[in-house]
Amino acid sequence: MLGYYVKLAARSLRRNPGITSLMVLAIALGISVCVMMLTVYHGMSSNPIWWKNDRLYAVTLDSWDVQEPADDEHPDLPPWQLTYNDAAAVAASTIPLHQVRMVKTTAVLVPEDVAAGAQPERVMLRVTSADFFTMFDTPFLYGGGWQAAADAGPEPVIVLSREMNEKFFAGENSVGRILRWNDRAFRVTGVLDDWHPSPKFYDLNNGGFDDPEDAYVPFGWIAALELRSMGNTNCWKPESRNSYADFLNSECVWIQSWVELPDAAARASMQAFLDAYVADQRKAGRFARPDNNRLTPVDQWLADNRVVRDDNRLLVALAFAFLAVCLLNTVGLLLAKFLGNASVTGIRRALGASRRQVFLQHLTEAGLLAAAGALGGLVLAALGLLGLRALYATGSAGFRNIMHVDGWSLVMTVMLAVFAALAAGLYPAWRVGRLAPAVYLKTQ
Amino acid sequence: MLAMRHISKVFRTDLIETHALRDFSLGVDAGEFVAVTGPSGSGKTTFLNVAGLLETFDTGAYLLDGVDISGLSDDERSRLRNEKIGFIFQSFNLIPDLDIFDNVDVPLRYRRMPAAERRQRIDSALDIVGLKSRAHHLPSQLSGGQQQRVAIARAIAGDPKFLLADEPTGNLDSLMARQVMDLLEQINEMGTTIVLVTHDPELARRAQRNVQVVDGQISDYRPFAAQAAPAMAGALA
Amino acid sequence: MFRDIRPVLSALLRNRTGAVLVGLQVAIALAVLVNAVYIVKQRVDLIGRPTGLDVGNIFVLSSAGFTQDHDRYATMREDLAWLRSLPDVRAATSTNAIPLSGGGSSTGIATTPEASSEQTVPMNYFQVDEDGLEALGVTLAAGRNFRADEILPPDLNSDRAIPQVIITKALARSLFRTDDAVGKVVYDAFGRPTTVIGVIEHMQGSWLSWDKVDHVALVPEVASWSDNAYLVRTRPGTRAAVMRQAEEHLAASNTTRLIKFVRPLDYYRDRSYLSDRNMAVFLVTVTVLLAGVTALGIFALATFNVNVRTRQVGTRRAVGARRADIVRYFLVENWLVTTAGVVLGCALALAAGYQLSRQFELPRLDLYYLTGGVLALWLLGLAAAWQPARRAAKISPSMATRTI
Repeated sequence: MLGYYVKLAARSLRRNPGITSLMVLAIALGISVCVMMLTVYHGMSSNPIWWKNDRLYAVTLDSWDVQEPADDEHPDLPPWQLTYNDAAAVAASTIPLHQVRMVKTTAVLVPEDVAAGAQPERVMLRVTSADFFTMFDTPFLYGGGWQAAADAGPEPVIVLSREMNEKFFAGENSVGRILRWNDRAFRVTGVLDDWHPSPKFYDLNNGGFDDPEDAYVPFGWIAALELRSMGNTNCWKPESRNSYADFLNSECVWIQSWVELPDAAARASMQAFLDAYVADQRKAGRFARPDNNRLTPVDQWLADNRVVRDDNRLLVALAFAFLAVCLLNTVGLLLAKFLGNASVTGIRRALGASRRQVFLQHLTEAGLLAAAGALGGLVLAALGLLGLRALYATGSAGFRNIMHVDGWSLVMTVMLAVFAALAAGLYPAWRVGRLAPAVYLKTQ
Repeated sequence: MLAMRHISKVFRTDLIETHALRDFSLGVDAGEFVAVTGPSGSGKTTFLNVAGLLETFDTGAYLLDGVDISGLSDDERSRLRNEKIGFIFQSFNLIPDLDIFDNVDVPLRYRRMPAAERRQRIDSALDIVGLKSRAHHLPSQLSGGQQQRVAIARAIAGDPKFLLADEPTGNLDSLMARQVMDLLEQINEMGTTIVLVTHDPELARRAQRNVQVVDGQISDYRPFAAQAAPAMAGALA
Repeated sequence: MFRDIRPVLSALLRNRTGAVLVGLQVAIALAVLVNAVYIVKQRVDLIGRPTGLDVGNIFVLSSAGFTQDHDRYATMREDLAWLRSLPDVRAATSTNAIPLSGGGSSTGIATTPEASSEQTVPMNYFQVDEDGLEALGVTLAAGRNFRADEILPPDLNSDRAIPQVIITKALARSLFRTDDAVGKVVYDAFGRPTTVIGVIEHMQGSWLSWDKVDHVALVPEVASWSDNAYLVRTRPGTRAAVMRQAEEHLAASNTTRLIKFVRPLDYYRDRSYLSDRNMAVFLVTVTVLLAGVTALGIFALATFNVNVRTRQVGTRRAVGARRADIVRYFLVENWLVTTAGVVLGCALALAAGYQLSRQFELPRLDLYYLTGGVLALWLLGLAAAWQPARRAAKISPSMATRTI
C-alpha cells in the first residue's frame, strides 16, 4: 500500500510544482539552519576521547588567594592549572596508571641540514610527560614516544606532528633524525599521524579549538631551559621573585596536570592522596581556601570550561524557532492544498478508501515533501557550513574542522525530516481524513 | 439485496430542520434494475448517499446484502462500499491526473489485491466498456461518454453486488446517453443489481421498476407509465 | 475602515486554521526579529567601541632567535633603529603584548601600600619605550611621555619596582575617582610606589571581552617575557608597503632569527571580535530568511483566500463594490491576522527577552525594539498581501454569474 501512496503523493506533488517547491524550500531552509547549528553545537560539545571518559581526569587544587576565588565567573572552581611544585607532587604519586604534566610553549626548530631546503620553523611546542601519547591515544605514523626516564634527564628527544614532519622531512620516516633547538640536537623518536581532537580537551585554556602542537618534548626541559608558558600564567601572591627558581617555587599556576585512573578504587585513593597532600601543605601555610581538590573527568572538564558558548545555545534555539515558522508555513500550504483537492478525496472515499487510508496517503505526501526538503536541507547545510568556514577563516583551524557535514549531521537530518513530516503533515492529513465523502461529490 | 425500513434522516442547522428522508422504506431484490425518480429537493440525493453508505441515517434499518448497516464504523462502511457497491456519478468523478487504467484501479487498490489480479480485472472491465485501447489516456483526452464508460468500468471492476448510478447521463448528449444506458442494461443482465437515481422520466423507463420520492418518502404516483420517448435523433449530428 | 472589519472577521473565523497558522508564524517571527535585532545591535556597538589606538596604521612584527649566540636585545635595538629610520614609520616600540589580541599581562595596583584585594584595581600593562605613546597612536590627555633615560633595561626574572607609569583615564577614575591623576602615586602588590606621570585619553588593552578593557597602563621597560615583538606605526597609506619592506629587510639582516609574523593590528581586533561579528551575521541572515518565509506564509494565505472567494468577490463587484473596496477588504483581513499574531508575538518576544536576560546574562529587551518590530511586521504583512489583494480587485463582476 505504501508504494501506492508514494506514487499518488509524487503525482500530487508534481501537479502543483509551484506550491511543491515552496514547501520543499521552506522545509529545506528550516532543516538546513537546524542541521548547521546542531552540527556546530555537537562538534563543540562532543567528547573527543569519550572512550576514556571514566579514566582520564584533570587534576586541579585550590591553592588560590583566601580573599577571592581564582575565577570570578566560576567561584566554586579551583584555578585551571597547578603550580610547578604542586604538579610535581601529583606526578610523584604512583596511584595513576599514567599521568602527565605539561605546558604549551613556542620554539624555533632548525633542521640539521639547512642546505637540503628545509627552513627553520617556528613551532608550537608541548613540553609534556612520556605518558602523554599512551594516555591520550595519539596515533603514530612512525616510531613512538619516549621512555619515562627521558622526562627527568631530560633527554633531547622530540615527537613531531605529521604536518611538521612534512615541513622538515618531506613526510619521510624521520625517526632518529635531528632537529636543533637553540643549537641543541633533538632526536626524533616518533611522528604522529593525523590527530586533531576537537575540542582540544587536554588544554582548553589556550583556545578550545586550537590545533594540537607541532612537536612534543620531555617535561624536564621546562626547568632545564627556563621555559615559560605560551598560555596563561596566573599569579595571586605578592612574592619576591628574583630568579627562574623563584618563579618555579612561586604560587603562580601554569602547569596542566592529567591522570589516568583505571577504576573507582584508584580514583578514590588518588582523591585521598590529593587531600592528604593539601592537608600537609596547609601546615606550611599554603592552601588557605577550603578543600577543593578535584579530579574532573573529560565531560565535566568540557562543561566547566564552557567550551560551548552561550551564543551557540542561542543559535540552536533560533534555528528551531526558524524551523517552527517554516513548518507552520508548510502546514498552511499543505492544508490549503489537501482541502482544495477534497473532491478527489471524496471520490476515493466513495470508492471505499477508509479514513485511515486517506490519512496515510496524505501523510505519505507530507513525508515525501519532508524527504525532499531534508535532501535540499542537507545540501544547503553543507553550503552553509562552507560559508561558516569562510566566516571563521581567521579563527582556529580546529573550530573550522567541526564545520562539515558528518555522520551525526546525517542522523540529525533524518530525525528532523521525520519530525518535519509529522509536524507538517499530521494535522492536514487528519483534517482531510475527516472529510465527509458525500459533501464533496456533488460540487463539481 | 437492499432493504431500507422506516429510514429517516434530518439535517439540522441553527434555524431549521429539514427532513430529507422520513419513514422511507424500499426493497430491491438481487438482479433488479430499479429507477428512483423525483423532483429536485425531494430527497433523492439523500437516498443515494444513505444507500451508498456515504452518509449515516438517524432512525430505521438498512440491510445491504444481508448486512445490517446501522452501528457499523466508518471503516466498516468504507469496506462495504469498496466491496459491494459500484458508484456512477453524473459528473463522472474520474480523478483527472490518473490515467484510465489507474482510475479503474482505485477501488481495487483499497482491497489489497495482488497486482496480477488487479491488472486482469481492470483489463476485463475496460474490455466490457470497450475502452481497453485507451487504458493510458488521461480522462481529459476522452469524450464525456467515454469518461462515463470509464466510470462504469471502475464501478464494475471490483465485481460489486450492486451499482448505484446518479444521473449517469445527465452530462451527456443523447447518443452517448443511450450507449451508457445500453451498457448498464448489459451489466444488469450479467446479474448486477442496479439502482438508478434520476429526475429524467425517459431514463427511468428503461428500468424494470420505478420508484418515486416526494418529500423524503416513496410516492405511489407514477406519472410517466406509458409515455413515448421524444425523438432525439436530431441532436446527434 | 472599521465598517469592513465585521464581515472580514466573520469570514476569517470560518477559515480559522489558515489564519491561526499565519498568526503563529507572525508571532514567532516577531519574537525572533525583536530579540535578534537587539542582540545584533549590542554586538555592533561592542565592535564599534573606540579603541583609542591608530589601528589602521599600526602593524606588529615578531621575531625569534634560534641559536644560542643570538642576542635578542642587540637584535631588538638594531631592528628598532632601522624601523625608526624609515621615512614612512612614525614610531616603533618593543612590547610585551599586542593590544586587542586576547593575550597580555595584568597585575593589581592600589592607592595605598597596604591594600586589601577589594581595594586593588586590575591593570592591563604594556611594556613600551619612549616611542610607545606615539607608536600606539594614543592621545595624552595630561602629563608627559617617558624620557629615553627612564626606560628600564630588560629583566625577565625579577620583580622590580617601576618608578613611573602612564595610565588611562578609565584606570585613573577607578583608582582616584578623578581623571586628574598626574603626580599621584599608586602601589604594587609589594606596597612599592609608582608615580603616574601621564594620563591617556582612552586605550583598549589586551582582552576585548573584559569589562575593564580600558584599564590600561604603559610601563617604561624593555619587553622581555616572550620573543621580540614590535609595534610599528606608519604614515597613512604606507602600512602595507612598510610591512613588506620590514619583513624582507629584517629577515636578511640577521640570520640567527626567524621572522615569526608581520601582521596589521586590525588582524587582532578582527580575530578578537570574530565570534561577535559572526553571531551578528548569523542572526541577520536567519532573521532575513525568517521574515521571507513569514511573508511567504502571509502571501499564500491571502492568495488562498482570494482564490476560494473568486465568486464572492465577483458578487461584491456586481453589487457595486469598487476595486479599492476589494483591495481594502483583503488588506483588512490580512491586517487582522497579522495583528493577532503581533499581539501574541509581543508576549512571546518579552518572554524570550526575559529568558535571554536570565540565561545568557544579556540586558533586558528594550521596548523601542518591540515597537519597531511590530511596525516592521505590519508593513511586511501589508506588502505580502498587496499582490493577492490587487489580483482580487481585478476579478470581473461577471464571475458572480459564472458557474465554476
